[in-house]
Amino acid sequence: MSETAQAPGRATVHRRFVSRLLHLLATQIELRMVLLIIVVMAVLSRISPYFLTSNNLLNVMDQSVIAGMVALGQTLVILIGGIDLSVGSLTGVSAIVLGLMFPKFGVPAAVLGCLVTGAALGLVNGVIITAGKIAPFVVTLGMMSIGRSMAYVLSGASSIGNIPSSLAALTADSVFGIPVDFLCLIVAYAIAWYFLTFAKGGRTLYAIGSNVEAARIAGLSINLWSIAAYVIAGLMSAVAAVFLTSKILSIDPIGGAGEELDAIAAVVIGGASLFGGRGSIIGTLAGVFIMVFIRNGLNLLNVSPYWQGTAIGSIIIAAVLVERLLSGGRSRA
Amino acid sequence: MALLSLSEIGKRFGATVALAGASFTLEAGEVHALVGANGAGKSTLSRVVSGHIQPDSGTISLDGRLVRFAGAREAIRAGIAIVTQETSLAPDLSVLENIMLPRLGMPGRLDWRAMRHDAERLIARLGAEAGVAVGARVRDLTIGQRQIVEILKALALDSRIIIFDEPTAPLSPHETKLLFGIARTLAAGGHGLVFVSHRLEEIFALSNRVTVLREGKVVADAVPTRELTQGELIRLMVGRELTDIYARADKKTRRERGAPVLQVRHLFAPPRVRDVSFTVHAGEILGLAGLVGAGRSETLETIFGLRPARGGTIELDGKPFAAASPRQAIRAGLGLIPEDRRTQGTVPDFSVRENLLLAHLGAHRGLGLAYRGRDSAVRRLLALLGLPEQRLLDANLLTFSGGMQQKVILARWLVLSPRLLLLDEPTRGVDIATRSSIYALLRHIAAEGVACIVVSSDFEEVIGLADRIVVLSDGVDVTSIPSEMVDIEKLGMFAAPRSSAERTHTVLEGLAERYHGMAFWISIEGGRVFCFDRVGVASAADPGFAGGGFPEITETRIPAALAQRAAGFVTEPGGGLTTLLVPISSGGGHEFGLIGLTLAQPPTDLDARLLARGIAHDLEPEVGREAA
Repeated sequence: MSETAQAPGRATVHRRFVSRLLHLLATQIELRMVLLIIVVMAVLSRISPYFLTSNNLLNVMDQSVIAGMVALGQTLVILIGGIDLSVGSLTGVSAIVLGLMFPKFGVPAAVLGCLVTGAALGLVNGVIITAGKIAPFVVTLGMMSIGRSMAYVLSGASSIGNIPSSLAALTADSVFGIPVDFLCLIVAYAIAWYFLTFAKGGRTLYAIGSNVEAARIAGLSINLWSIAAYVIAGLMSAVAAVFLTSKILSIDPIGGAGEELDAIAAVVIGGASLFGGRGSIIGTLAGVFIMVFIRNGLNLLNVSPYWQGTAIGSIIIAAVLVERLLSGGRSRA
Repeated sequence: MALLSLSEIGKRFGATVALAGASFTLEAGEVHALVGANGAGKSTLSRVVSGHIQPDSGTISLDGRLVRFAGAREAIRAGIAIVTQETSLAPDLSVLENIMLPRLGMPGRLDWRAMRHDAERLIARLGAEAGVAVGARVRDLTIGQRQIVEILKALALDSRIIIFDEPTAPLSPHETKLLFGIARTLAAGGHGLVFVSHRLEEIFALSNRVTVLREGKVVADAVPTRELTQGELIRLMVGRELTDIYARADKKTRRERGAPVLQVRHLFAPPRVRDVSFTVHAGEILGLAGLVGAGRSETLETIFGLRPARGGTIELDGKPFAAASPRQAIRAGLGLIPEDRRTQGTVPDFSVRENLLLAHLGAHRGLGLAYRGRDSAVRRLLALLGLPEQRLLDANLLTFSGGMQQKVILARWLVLSPRLLLLDEPTRGVDIATRSSIYALLRHIAAEGVACIVVSSDFEEVIGLADRIVVLSDGVDVTSIPSEMVDIEKLGMFAAPRSSAERTHTVLEGLAERYHGMAFWISIEGGRVFCFDRVGVASAADPGFAGGGFPEITETRIPAALAQRAAGFVTEPGGGLTTLLVPISSGGGHEFGLIGLTLAQPPTDLDARLLARGIAHDLEPEVGREAA
């Protein structure tokens, strides 16, 4: 009793600060992810003096754009408790549309056509899943196969070259030393964050993933926003296709293959639950960075690229394990 | 020596005391009913016996030896099995495999022929009526048949104690009868059976002794069933101290109900809702009573736009209303508190604040959230509900008790100032203190002019809370009655599913046809006739009331017969209508009302005594205790 009468001692203040920090860490995914990135960066800069050079950081930014764009759409789908396996194939087929259109219609129309293709195929996913009440895994698995097949059919199984310089500028130019494509990524994530935090649609996505029946009874537009999540996922695959084309200056029907797994991995590392309702867009961005950092770090250390899969895979499993421990078993993924 | 004896069992869940020193003994060869209102602790106690729950205090002894079960598996090994509504069978395996599941886990080769033989022997023990084929897939069985498989599984493990935890709720009358037959066979064979139920009729039909729990304590310890009446049992279950938790408004204010808010006419939404009509007024709490499967929840869901109506009309404020989606219903001023809080109510990943504002978000037109605009409403509601504001808003809803969560879900609708609230089992899984405050809250909002429709399986709650009660039975409204005119027994008779009252109905049909009169099933109390069913087309023999009616005796066309209740035919003064009334009762001597036959003319060649005996005989298997 007498202790409370006195001003709290330094030790008490210290303890309070630590417990408050631990509490914040346990409750805020975003904070946890930022901290993790700082740790990863610190470790990597320690082992490789080259890591923190501007050249390498530009390299890292460059590598995070395509995965980041796809992971953004995937986050929305996973938030509603769905999954989209078709995003990689949609990147492939919409890139082919871009390649087939620019010689005839010019770059702006071709980019538009590319984006419409991605969004339209996403719409097909969303409508079949929502109206047909079919498991998203099955529908998007089918779309994954269809998309890749269409990419081959449309392109005649050959690559398209002679990419116009206006497209190439997207990844070559920079503003204040930061690449344009990376700025686009940050802007996209800022919009997504705002949407998920302050817009009715964004909160609806969370509510659908958390308890769809409660959301329905409360009058939220379940079908509209469920479909929208898949449309945005398709659209972001097409955005990734534009940047991919700009970067490698060639369009190949195999483009974007395997992207879906990277995207899902980034979302999961970022703390989202595969059962929906829980996750954050900032967490996903951090997940993307962590994956790129690890790949980059392994390269810098001259580790065989065959080890990358093991490293990324271990991180995915560790991330989910840590989430479960921190959320006291409440985690469902 | 008692087969099983529990002494001074205590169990808490968080802040809730589920059991406070409850004791229970079970003898071999008896059916022991464990009875109590919702939340009395009967399920907790039976799960303590079955090893699913470990008690905080108290002892369990089996055959006089102290035992302690660390889990359900140990209880099963000790010979205790539990049969519940949701069975623990593997749906894709056959009946045989399910019965012999424990053997499948043993090493070595399986002797299928011996297993089949053993299973068939067990089925034979239950009697030929059990009617399950060993080769059938469990998925294809009815719920009743699955329960029989569950019993067979228990027998295969040599269980001596079988607990039936509200097994009959989802069963058809035929299945219930079958289950009771099996239960009696098992008891006769020396098994000890615990029968958990709140259906009085079944308790009197099946059990030898009754133990009543109330708020975790035993209030009647192993009383022989035949020494109890239904009224006594209800009083024991509910207790006097509960009667004032409903915060009933006094009669004077209750009379002043407002204009009709919602009028439902011949609502048809198959399969459950067949023909439902009722009206609810501003400021009125309307109870929607009935048994599980009567179509109560489905009626609410149809009004709210969650399921399509295929026929009938709904009027809101006198204007046609048909919500195609919950959003339309919400914008028209409706709110729905759903039946299952966990799967339909709470959003577990949202804070209390966002849970409170969920319906606001659904009703809001615009792209943003507009949460700020509701801040003052939220503050006002939290004060009204007695919820601490600051600590609560950002916290996760799941960290609060069920009662608190229910208050938040109720408040979710109050944010929108609704005109009509639909409440489906609003106090399920809610502790008694919170229940009382929910009742007070409903009274409060009704007093502000909100119309409320409350669905509840708890008849006591419906009578205590509602101003007027509409009883549904098999998807049809059978009566609309002021709550002060009705008690639990009569509500139960109104609510009896038309299918289970089929025998009564058949008897009435036979009477009406053979004697060209009107036959009816009624109960008389306090100078009033309550008519549960009426059959007949001879309008000349109209007794002056129909099924669902509850006129005063003097208002009927046969006041003399109803007042006298004589053993033979009674002809009304002035000739004409002649009535025979036959009291019917269960084997335990409990009254189940009267069967009556009204004729246009006094009969010339009918022996009243013979006819009465015939009626009683025809009805005996329905309401009485069957011979084993």
